[in-house]
Amino acid sequence: MRWLGIALVFVAAATMIAGVADLPVHGTPDAPIHRHVGARYLEHGVAETGMRNMVTAVLLVYRGFDTFLEVVVIFTALVAVLALPRGAGKAGPARVVSPSGSTAAATSDADAVGPQQADVPVSPVVFFVVRLLAPFIAIFALASLYRGHITPGGGFQSAAIFGALFIALALVFGRERAARLVPVPARVWLQALGPVLFALVAFVGWCLTGAFLGYPADAAAHAVREAMVVTLEVGIAVGGAVILAQLFMAMEG
Amino acid sequence: MSDVFDAVMLLLLIAIAVTVGRAKDLLAAVVKFALYGLVLCLVWQHRGAPDVAITEAAVGAGVTSVLFLLTIAKTTRAEKS
Amino acid sequence: MVLFGLDLDYAACVVLFCLGLYMLVAKSNLIKKVLGLNVMETAVFAFIVTAGMVEGGDPPILVAGTSPPYASPIPHAMVLTGIVVAVSVTAVALALIVQIHAHYGTIEVDELKELP
Repeated sequence: MRWLGIALVFVAAATMIAGVADLPVHGTPDAPIHRHVGARYLEHGVAETGMRNMVTAVLLVYRGFDTFLEVVVIFTALVAVLALPRGAGKAGPARVVSPSGSTAAATSDADAVGPQQADVPVSPVVFFVVRLLAPFIAIFALASLYRGHITPGGGFQSAAIFGALFIALALVFGRERAARLVPVPARVWLQALGPVLFALVAFVGWCLTGAFLGYPADAAAHAVREAMVVTLEVGIAVGGAVILAQLFMAMEG
Repeated sequence: MSDVFDAVMLLLLIAIAVTVGRAKDLLAAVVKFALYGLVLCLVWQHRGAPDVAITEAAVGAGVTSVLFLLTIAKTTRAEKS
Repeated sequence: MVLFGLDLDYAACVVLFCLGLYMLVAKSNLIKKVLGLNVMETAVFAFIVTAGMVEGGDPPILVAGTSPPYASPIPHAMVLTGIVVAVSVTAVALALIVQIHAHYGTIEVDELKELP
């Protein structure tokens, strides 16, 4: 298998290097990639979409279908992970003991399989740093969402930061305390917020302009455009964050 | 100078990818993969892509590495052969 | 930079892709295979963003502090979507690996092939 792998790698590398050799040198400002569609988006983007962050404009306005299908993809991945039986494998990762002495309560059925693992105390340095930085990380994620149209940031970024924050809190404080941050009924509905809000805004756009996910083009409708964009960003951010948190909790057992 | 930074970052990426492949201890492989994600975040920033850098830092070093760690905790830690 | 008629940044992305491909094909451990898949995906993202960059250019945020030439925004959007898809694929693959281990007791492809 190893020699087959090496042969395949050499063939693939030779093919790709031959294909890449014809491209213009990277970084030149007059390469074809900067001239046609990209130049048009950069030139008319601020006037047409009202956003200064061109990446967010491309994601939500010019290439909105791609983003729609991508939130559906991550939602489908969550459905696939949740559809698998839980409680498989060993008794989960070692239960976390926070320095205050309270342990995460051991669940009854998940521990029935395999040997128990010893409780590992969280390092006080990690505990202190996560506790100290968590509010600032949350504010940064909110700011990234709120100002995503004029600074680097946007929906995905704040979803990733919120998700990573939830994972850090769950690792340090124990799963039960972190799970109370997002109660189960809210979690069940919020994880579908991405596709739902996208479908809603797409329907609104269809009613307004006759095109699915179409944005009204006249300059006076910028409030409507802004409302649609903000709804989409909230959907991506909240939906994506809850999906990442759910993936973590589903895999933890 | 920016060329040198570029070359050093890409060589570092290749070296880390090689060590990820060669690590027999899967936990070490996952930690090196998180390091790979962080160096990649610096590469994105150098390429003028701050949005991608934020996402890569949070997702590569945060979410993906933790998912790998949970899987290793539930399966095995060492690679046989 | 260009060396021997070969653009080295693109060549580095090709090398990373082949390293990931080797890990995916030749390693027997399933978790190593998923790691190789992730390395391949990030190599493709690196290639896409490198193709859209401008040497010494600004990020495509049209505020007062930045000036043309901008990096092209379309590769950034594609890579953001790609990162989310990579996370989705990795999460499903790892959940399946946990199930395989629970059922068969092993996650090495060499041993899984021997099972009846």
